[in-house]
Amino acid sequence: MKGTAAHIVRTLLLSLITLFGVSVLIFLMLRVLPGDPARVLAGLNASEDQVARLRDELGLDDSLLSQYWSFISGVVTGDLGTSARTSRPVATEIAVRLPATLILAVVATVIGSIIGVTAGVIAAVRRNSIVDHVISSVAMMGVSMPVYWLGLLLILLFAVTLGWLPAAGSGEPLSIVLPAVTLAAFSTALVSRMTRASMLEVLGQDYVRTAHAKGAPPQTVVVKHALRNAFIPILTVISLQFGALLGGAVLTETVFGWPGIGRLMVDSIGARDFAVVQGLVLVYATFFILLNVIVDVLYVVVDPRIRY
Amino acid sequence: MSTARRRTTRMRSFAAAAAVGILLSACSVSDPEAPASDSGEGGGGTFNIAVGIDPDTFDPAGQTTTTVQNMVDYVVETLVTVDEEGTVSGKLAETFEVSEDGLTVTLGLKEGVQFQDGTPFNAEAVKFNLERIKDPNLTVPLGAPFEVIESVTAVDESTVEIKLLRPSPGFLSALSVTTAAMIAPGSVTAEGNTNDNYQNPVGTGPYTFESYTAGESVTVQKYADYWGEEPHYDTVNFRVVPEAATRESLLLAGQVDMIILPPVSDLEALQNNSDVEVILGESDRSIFIALDTLDPLWSNPVARQALNYAVDKQTIVDSVLFGAAEVMNGPMASSLFGYCETGSYDYDPDRARQLLAEAGAEGASIDLLTPSGRYVQDQQAAEAIAGYLREVGLTVNVTTSDFPSFLSRVNAPHSENTVDAHLLGWAPPYLDADFQMQMFRQANHPPAGLGTAFYTNPQVEELLARADVETDRDTREQLYCDASQVIWDEAPWIFLWTQSFPVVHSADVTGIDTTPTEKFDAIYARPAN
Repeated sequence: MKGTAAHIVRTLLLSLITLFGVSVLIFLMLRVLPGDPARVLAGLNASEDQVARLRDELGLDDSLLSQYWSFISGVVTGDLGTSARTSRPVATEIAVRLPATLILAVVATVIGSIIGVTAGVIAAVRRNSIVDHVISSVAMMGVSMPVYWLGLLLILLFAVTLGWLPAAGSGEPLSIVLPAVTLAAFSTALVSRMTRASMLEVLGQDYVRTAHAKGAPPQTVVVKHALRNAFIPILTVISLQFGALLGGAVLTETVFGWPGIGRLMVDSIGARDFAVVQGLVLVYATFFILLNVIVDVLYVVVDPRIRY
Repeated sequence: MSTARRRTTRMRSFAAAAAVGILLSACSVSDPEAPASDSGEGGGGTFNIAVGIDPDTFDPAGQTTTTVQNMVDYVVETLVTVDEEGTVSGKLAETFEVSEDGLTVTLGLKEGVQFQDGTPFNAEAVKFNLERIKDPNLTVPLGAPFEVIESVTAVDESTVEIKLLRPSPGFLSALSVTTAAMIAPGSVTAEGNTNDNYQNPVGTGPYTFESYTAGESVTVQKYADYWGEEPHYDTVNFRVVPEAATRESLLLAGQVDMIILPPVSDLEALQNNSDVEVILGESDRSIFIALDTLDPLWSNPVARQALNYAVDKQTIVDSVLFGAAEVMNGPMASSLFGYCETGSYDYDPDRARQLLAEAGAEGASIDLLTPSGRYVQDQQAAEAIAGYLREVGLTVNVTTSDFPSFLSRVNAPHSENTVDAHLLGWAPPYLDADFQMQMFRQANHPPAGLGTAFYTNPQVEELLARADVETDRDTREQLYCDASQVIWDEAPWIFLWTQSFPVVHSADVTGIDTTPTEKFDAIYARPAN
């Protein structure tokens, strides 16, 4: 366990370098994007004077180095700057929307993991049966179905036709059902496929045969002997999916009018609102790094043989 | 092979099931037992509106998009309004008078009006607001028309005198824009507000600002002491739903009472649905293809006329825009003051070929740039137009990009300009030809402005310069008409259409309309029965 703690500290220290790299990259990427933020912000009808004034106000005429310095020195002191589009602090803009995205990603991951692992285990145990084929083809559909299309179909069925669920927004407790299910479709499918493959590998191992031979009940063999040993790659997929859901919920958030940071990102890129995009990317990067650390720890929990 | 075939069959049956699902839902009616608005006797209840844009600022001075202005308009009011004929009428200013020389505007304010914070609306408040939108330290995107203000004087409690630097015939109309709406002077320093970051507007309007949930909704509450006619609903809730198909679903599911901008491909189905009513509002947004008139090939008006004849605009409106537009017959929308009908370029590919040959432009190659998703069916329309241009022997290459990149390309000086033609939309914030005509003046060539066709003509410049200071209404209208005729004949654009502004509402409510500045007018919405 001591080794693990040291590993975590080391990872976190290294991640500072990663975050620095991320900050430089996103800063430069935004600056090479075509489109003048001042012109976009001032609007089509603005005069050249107004645009020039705004450029000055936003510091866009300063050297890249001094722009980066004012960005990064702010970040270090916990100040992410001010949104050019809304005049509100970037930290506030992100903070008011982050919970919505987190809740959505967590619920979708829980749904995806429970259904995905269960389906994958069943498919592996009943290999080549009808059940396996059905699960595999549904999973195939889940992986290939565009989120947009699935989301709109679910809205048509459950909100318009049946009238059971809200079509959009986050105002009611039931509001989360449709976006979470939509978002979970892809990860459920992915997790089930990974679980099936990983289980098949483990189910062919000698110790599983031994467990069967010594007369352990089939469920025990499957869950305790096989699944636990098959779980490392599954855990990896789930955690990667969770990370992807945090960043990739843009379409789902758009279709369902869910007030998360994915939409904030799209709106901000569209408005060339540099400060907000930079802030969001740093938040994403931080989440990914933390997620990796947590998964590293979970590896040890799932498989005590792992040492750092 | 057999697996592949099985998979295909499976996919096909799923597709069939999905199609049935879509059909079923298309036939279904909204649940009559779950109306979104619960209205009691003599008012009350909540009116729900789904819009597509998350508001950036609630500061009237900071407004850019009409959707956000629309929400702010529930809370703040302007001094005057402009009707569909371009006639100015009073609102917070009961009377308005322009001096003979056009340099002094005198406003007589409505008396007894109070801001929602209890402070009086008076001449000092007007002075404060007009000086605020002229403040160079404040970002006022639509502030250009107010730069002409020299000084504002509060003559007495209810009389304001505005001195102008030069005569500005469009000035009164400009006062109808949300930018020039009246906020309570004390509110810029009140709870949660600063002058630069004004998030809780306080005005004189029929509703008070209640709350904004980022990315989710804006709520306003009825203001009990409103000076004018009392609206029906106690609460109005604007829901931010970026996806058009989702807005449509919310309405069909009875979860909102009204939406703006449904998917245009569904307009016909909505029009045939007796549970909802479709308003195809007239808009002042003209859509056109700006041609690079400094390009040697397209500097010849004959070549540009050829392009106008080559495109079947009506067919594109009918089949690509699903009828949500009207073909232009002048260089501006008919809702603008100064509009007159100047002619039509009826679809005539033979004539187009002949004119192209005459201008030596046959077989020419055109790079056509279009935004995507900014205007109704913009990219699709550009593709259709390219198809027509190819039919008359031109080589057309259509490209698209996100709007900021698009803007940086078309707003560049001519020496850096790399596009021959681009699709653009232009909607004057107030209904006067002045703003539209900027597009045809040298002073407005990029990067100074968005006169992206780089068009100029001495006669047009002269007519417009006269219109700038002409105080006689009829003479001014004629000047614009004359300039329009020259512009139309010289065709710096492929004149396309003026876009419609579709609003759909439940058949259970009434009293909803639109204005040509792409706003809805639903403050006095009420139950149909």
